[in-house]
Amino acid sequence: MATSITRRSFLKISGATTVGLSVAATLPDKFLLWAEEQGMLKATYVPTFCEICFWKCGVMAKVINGRVVKLEGNPNHPGARGKLCGRGNGGAGLLYDPDRLKTPLISSGARGEGKYKKASWDEALNLVAEKLTRIKQQYGPEAVALFTHGTPTDHFLPLLSAFGSPNVGMPSFAQCRGPRDVGLELTFGESIGSPERLDMVNSKVVVLFGSHLGENMHNSQVQDYAEAVGKGAKFIVVDPRFSIAAGKAHTWLPIRPATNIALLLAWINIIIRDGLYDKEYIGAYANGFGELAEAVRDCTPEWAEKETEIPAATILETASLMAKNAPAVCIHPGRHATWYGDDVQRTRCIAILMALLGTWGRPGGTFFATTASFPKMESKPFPEPSREPLNGGGYPFAGGEGVTQAIRTSTINGKPYPIKGWFVSGTNLMKAIPNEKETLEAIKKLDLLVAVDVMPFDTAMLADVILPECTYLERYDALAVGKGKSLTVSLRQPVVEPMYESKPGWWIAKELAKRLGLDEYFPWATYEEKIKAQCAHWGINFEELKKAGTITIPDTAAPYITAETPPKFKTASGKIELYSNELKEKGFDPVPRYTQHPQPASGEFRLIYGRNAVHTFSRTTNNPELHELYPENEVWVNAPRAREMGLVNGTYVTLVNQDGVRSNPIKVKVTERIRKDCAYMVHGFSTSSTSLKKAFNKGADDQGLITRYEVDPICGGTGMRVNFVRIEKEAPHA
Amino acid sequence: MELTITGVNAVTTPHLHVWDWRVSLYLFLGGLSAGLAIMTSILHVRKGGKLAEGDRAAFSAPLYVPIILSIGMLFIFLDLERKLNVFWFYLTVQPLSPMSWGSWGLLVFYPVSIMYALATLPESKRHYLRFPVLVNLSERLSRFKLPLAAANFAMGIFIGVYTGVLLSSFVARPLWNSAILPVLFLTSAMSAGAAFMIMIAGEKKVKLFFTKVDIWLILAEMVILPLFFYGQYTSSGAHRESIMPFFTFSHGYFWYGLGMLLLLIIFPVALVLKYLEVKEEHGEELTADALLKMNLSALMVLAGGLIIRLSFVYAGQLSHL
Amino acid sequence: MPRYAMVIDQRRCVACMACVVACKKENEVPPEQYRTRVVEKIEGEFPLLRMELRSELCNHCDNPPCVYNCPTGASYKRKEDGLVLLKKYRCVGCKSCLAACPYDARYINEKKGFADKCTFCEHRIKEGKEPACVATCIGKSRIFGDLDNPQSPVSIALRENHAEVLLQEAGTKPRVYYIKRFGKPE
Ligand SMILES: Nc1nc2c(c(=O)[nH]1)N[C@H]1C(S)=C(S)[C@@H](COP(=O)(O)OP(=O)(O)OC[C@H]3O[C@@H](n4cnc5c(=O)[nH]c(N)nc54)[C@H](O)[C@@H]3O)O[C@H]1N2
Ligand SMILES: Nc1nc2c(c(=O)[nH]1)N[C@H]1C(S)=C(S)[C@@H](COP(=O)(O)OP(=O)(O)OC[C@H]3O[C@@H](n4cnc5c(=O)[nH]c(N)nc54)[C@H](O)[C@@H]3O)O[C@H]1N2
Ligand code: SF4
Ligand code: SF4
Ligand code: SF4
Ligand code: SF4
Ligand code: SF4
Ligand SMILES: [Mo]
Repeated sequence: MATSITRRSFLKISGATTVGLSVAATLPDKFLLWAEEQGMLKATYVPTFCEICFWKCGVMAKVINGRVVKLEGNPNHPGARGKLCGRGNGGAGLLYDPDRLKTPLISSGARGEGKYKKASWDEALNLVAEKLTRIKQQYGPEAVALFTHGTPTDHFLPLLSAFGSPNVGMPSFAQCRGPRDVGLELTFGESIGSPERLDMVNSKVVVLFGSHLGENMHNSQVQDYAEAVGKGAKFIVVDPRFSIAAGKAHTWLPIRPATNIALLLAWINIIIRDGLYDKEYIGAYANGFGELAEAVRDCTPEWAEKETEIPAATILETASLMAKNAPAVCIHPGRHATWYGDDVQRTRCIAILMALLGTWGRPGGTFFATTASFPKMESKPFPEPSREPLNGGGYPFAGGEGVTQAIRTSTINGKPYPIKGWFVSGTNLMKAIPNEKETLEAIKKLDLLVAVDVMPFDTAMLADVILPECTYLERYDALAVGKGKSLTVSLRQPVVEPMYESKPGWWIAKELAKRLGLDEYFPWATYEEKIKAQCAHWGINFEELKKAGTITIPDTAAPYITAETPPKFKTASGKIELYSNELKEKGFDPVPRYTQHPQPASGEFRLIYGRNAVHTFSRTTNNPELHELYPENEVWVNAPRAREMGLVNGTYVTLVNQDGVRSNPIKVKVTERIRKDCAYMVHGFSTSSTSLKKAFNKGADDQGLITRYEVDPICGGTGMRVNFVRIEKEAPHA
Repeated sequence: MELTITGVNAVTTPHLHVWDWRVSLYLFLGGLSAGLAIMTSILHVRKGGKLAEGDRAAFSAPLYVPIILSIGMLFIFLDLERKLNVFWFYLTVQPLSPMSWGSWGLLVFYPVSIMYALATLPESKRHYLRFPVLVNLSERLSRFKLPLAAANFAMGIFIGVYTGVLLSSFVARPLWNSAILPVLFLTSAMSAGAAFMIMIAGEKKVKLFFTKVDIWLILAEMVILPLFFYGQYTSSGAHRESIMPFFTFSHGYFWYGLGMLLLLIIFPVALVLKYLEVKEEHGEELTADALLKMNLSALMVLAGGLIIRLSFVYAGQLSHL
Repeated sequence: MPRYAMVIDQRRCVACMACVVACKKENEVPPEQYRTRVVEKIEGEFPLLRMELRSELCNHCDNPPCVYNCPTGASYKRKEDGLVLLKKYRCVGCKSCLAACPYDARYINEKKGFADKCTFCEHRIKEGKEPACVATCIGKSRIFGDLDNPQSPVSIALRENHAEVLLQEAGTKPRVYYIKRFGKPE
């Protein structure tokens, strides 16, 4: 455990006695706090980083005799800056959730029945290793796929690679950032990173497309956003829903869903037409301006008004507001970008707009990552798989994180080759990927489904073997390297010992490797040893890192374009590609074009979804500290339309989608804050796992209603806002 | 307007609900004992003590005072969340807290009412006291009947007012926050005291006397209550809002509307009944029929007092600044 | 002698609820009970809407009805810094203070029965730290400091902005100030 930073108050009472660990570990928090106040117990602060979402904020965990009493932000960490979001503050709720997975479990009934018997680690690991080996012998190693998200990836991806399979799928690509990253890469040669390198603090105008900051609670980004609000930046918020961000906006554009590209093209057209673009910037750095200008000529504000239902005058006004303040204009490219299946092109529009306004690499726009980096560590190379990866799904621009649903499809139809084993770590596939039926169908085809999880969520409860990982507060994980304006490295280390029989991911991976004859890929005894070696290689003092949590490497950052630091665009042409030859070669529009999408029929609503500030997808829904703030989701319905339908605020209704799928009863929120044609809900609710005492059946599951999805042909992203629902009154509710 | 609040305490949202029937009963019984104390003092002083002569209430009424008070105190005790800490009431004086001076006041009221009960105990009944010390005390106290009656009367007024001040001191709850409330509560307390007296008295003269007293008190209540509502209605928006439960006949406010309706019936009917009693020619003894009417009207008055306490305690918590 | 106060810059609140969760952890507030809350108020009709975000807590009133109504002296206003605090061992749980507070800032600790509320995290102030909700406030919407120190963040914020208190008409003289709009003091 880490060396503790003694609290100031204890300097005064240096002679204070420390009560034995064993006794106090079982004492209630109240007493511990009192005893601490009396100087009987010592509070220590142990740095680590958060895993309640993927922002990886630096945490200072306050521990009193083996019990985590509070989590605070690490001031050294750039993502936290001494603060945690509501979810991060509630992280100990996961640690002490009584419903946690406590021991390995082996299915004792049919798959999905939810019947398990407790097993020892040996039993469970042997079983998994044995079945994996059998699949390997029968179908080849590629027949095992890994679905993973978050830090477990750092342990199980090497295991998969060592095993010989290239087939990994992370929902962070095809269900999240994929189209955005591809769209930006095609235009600028690189994406925007995570944390996104947005220079909002210096912006005069910020444009948000859906990005519902404040509800989307990525810590430092929201801090920047609040800073921008505080400094008086003008916000243009495009969202069919009056989000928290819209509430702060100078202009809220309640766009008709699925018409975003029309608005963007109109803006691009106005800016070109009226000569408002940054001529110098475009001249120096961009390719294909002529073709772009030609292609968008007809995208007038009047045309866009018809599509978007945003008045032409407002479109003009907002365009000139941007132009007037360029380049200090931050156009957020979004994060969860998989909306309508033309999402790469939507991002391309945003990228083109950024280029025209000259905001990429400019103060108030976006900034460049530091070029500093850590030297690579030599390690044993993984075996070359003998078959082509199938996780690209044939999409020309699929990324390295894989296309989750492509693996699913191959699992169902056995093409191009069969997939017989799924290894799932840190993702709740049932909630993450659209069309639950398909997922279940694929799972039926498997010889083995293993889940490494901390909680018995939906997907884990379908597994043949469940391996209980300890929470992020109880383990070492890979060092987190941050590349923002400067280079940082942060440590995840155990704050307390693992509870029950749970084990760290690295241990599980290593033990499996041992049983699979792959130990040479895990040539260290403990993860601490591995990290230590890495630190030594990187020239970082491990002991110092343990105390500080995050170390920032002083370097020569060049965040903005200047005469001395000209930009490098890693595109084919070395320039910003307003017109994309790459796309053209693959048969896609080189300049984005608008196509109409189906709109809801009368009596229907388009189902849209988003975040709640105190929840992360499904994973926090059972966290006692967060559950109490938002125990179940609600469906937002436009107030006048609700009145017409006779819906009463706070009563339960049932949603029925175009394919006849019915939701759980869900409370209706009758509100002026949404367009008439949309029904909105927070994603992640209504787990089917009865082991989750708080979250079971609470609210409705958006994913259950998302039976249709529109795949982006460029990268494989699954557009998920293409489902329509009807609302039935008087849902039975227990 | 749409309101969403994250982090609400059930005890204050959607409205305050800290006090229930226990506090209502405390206020009612406290008021009743106060009213009865006032009436017993009057009984013993009236006509130089002649009125009390020969009536069973002469000695029973003063005894009822501390008993009813104790039952009332039991209810407030039941309402305390940390009962073992009650002694703190008496380790401090909080001059701005009605509850503090109420608890001190009760501490004085008790001995005064007990002493008064001892003092008014007729000689013939002193042997019930068993212990010579008490018999002795009773004998000695009986010499100070008059000053004790005065003290008892004063304490009765004090406690009667206090039960109203307790509520009226809360600036945060507009229904309660009215200077008329203590007057209303005192009047209602005295009226209840008189009614109780009518019920426990044996002699016709006593019953009729207190019937007359009660007529005036009911009349007073019938003036004060509308005045109270008038005051609230013409005051700030929050004050005006605060009385709406009584006048809005909706599902949510059903009990308040009903309470109001009952009061509207009880007071006039009781008044008429009493008026008839006084007017009627009675013989030496009251007829069974007349007794029934008398007791009925007295019961109505008591019920009215209870309704006032219950509805005000609850409705006050619905009101908000 | 410090005069602690809080300024809530409502413009910067992002409704993230970090304050609510942090406060509960810092102060061991029982489940389903809160010392601070965030109010989200929407006015208008689609699409002409206004939003007000307001975090609320005990105002540490200079004229505190909760203290006046406390029969046992459990609730008191501390002389040195004006914090309204509680001596829990004295509290009988009579709930007068709950009824007295116009801001509904109090609750009865459901586990222990005593009245409780925000203390401005006096145990943290003592150690030279900011209150927990302030320290974690993502929007830097909550500002804490000493009114008597002209350089403190609260003094600066109040100098540079128009601020109001809640329910001024209650006469409680709150020490929590709200900045709603942009602009200098009027
Ligand atoms: N609290 C919290 N914060 C999170 C997360 C979390 O789980 N919880 N997850 C994190 C992750 S991984 C991601 S990817 C991000 C996702 O967060 P964002 O990238 O902000 O997600 P979006 O899908 O852009 O945002 C949803 C919003 O889009 C609006 N919307 C729906 N349809 C349309 C449309 O057609 N056009 C426009 N313009 N808007 C539309 C919805 O009304 C809603 O307000 O959040 C991150 N932050
Ligand atoms: N309908 C719909 N689908 C969506 C989205 C949406 O908004 N709507 N959002 C999409 C986006 S943007 C994303 S990024 C994905 C997110 O998809 P996921 O990352 O799969 O999100 P969760 O539903 O939170 O599932 C997380 C799982 O990981 C487990 N877990 C948590 N911590 C740990 C740990 O430390 N170790 C291990 N082993 N397991 C852990 C949890 O218990 C839970 O089972 O979902 C995507 N899918
Ligand atoms: S943003 Fe919040 S939940 Fe995500 S890592 Fe940071 S503190 Fe944790
Ligand atoms: S806000 Fe309420 S609890 Fe706090 S000092 Fe003022 S009256 Fe008392
Ligand atoms: S509940 Fe406790 S703090 Fe509140 S008024 Fe009663 S004794 Fe005082
Ligand atoms: S100052 Fe402390 S007690 Fe008060 S609301 Fe903030 S965190 Fe809670
Ligand atoms: S932490 Fe700050 S920004 Fe977040 S809800 Fe609370 S007051 Fe608002
Ligand atoms: Mo995501």
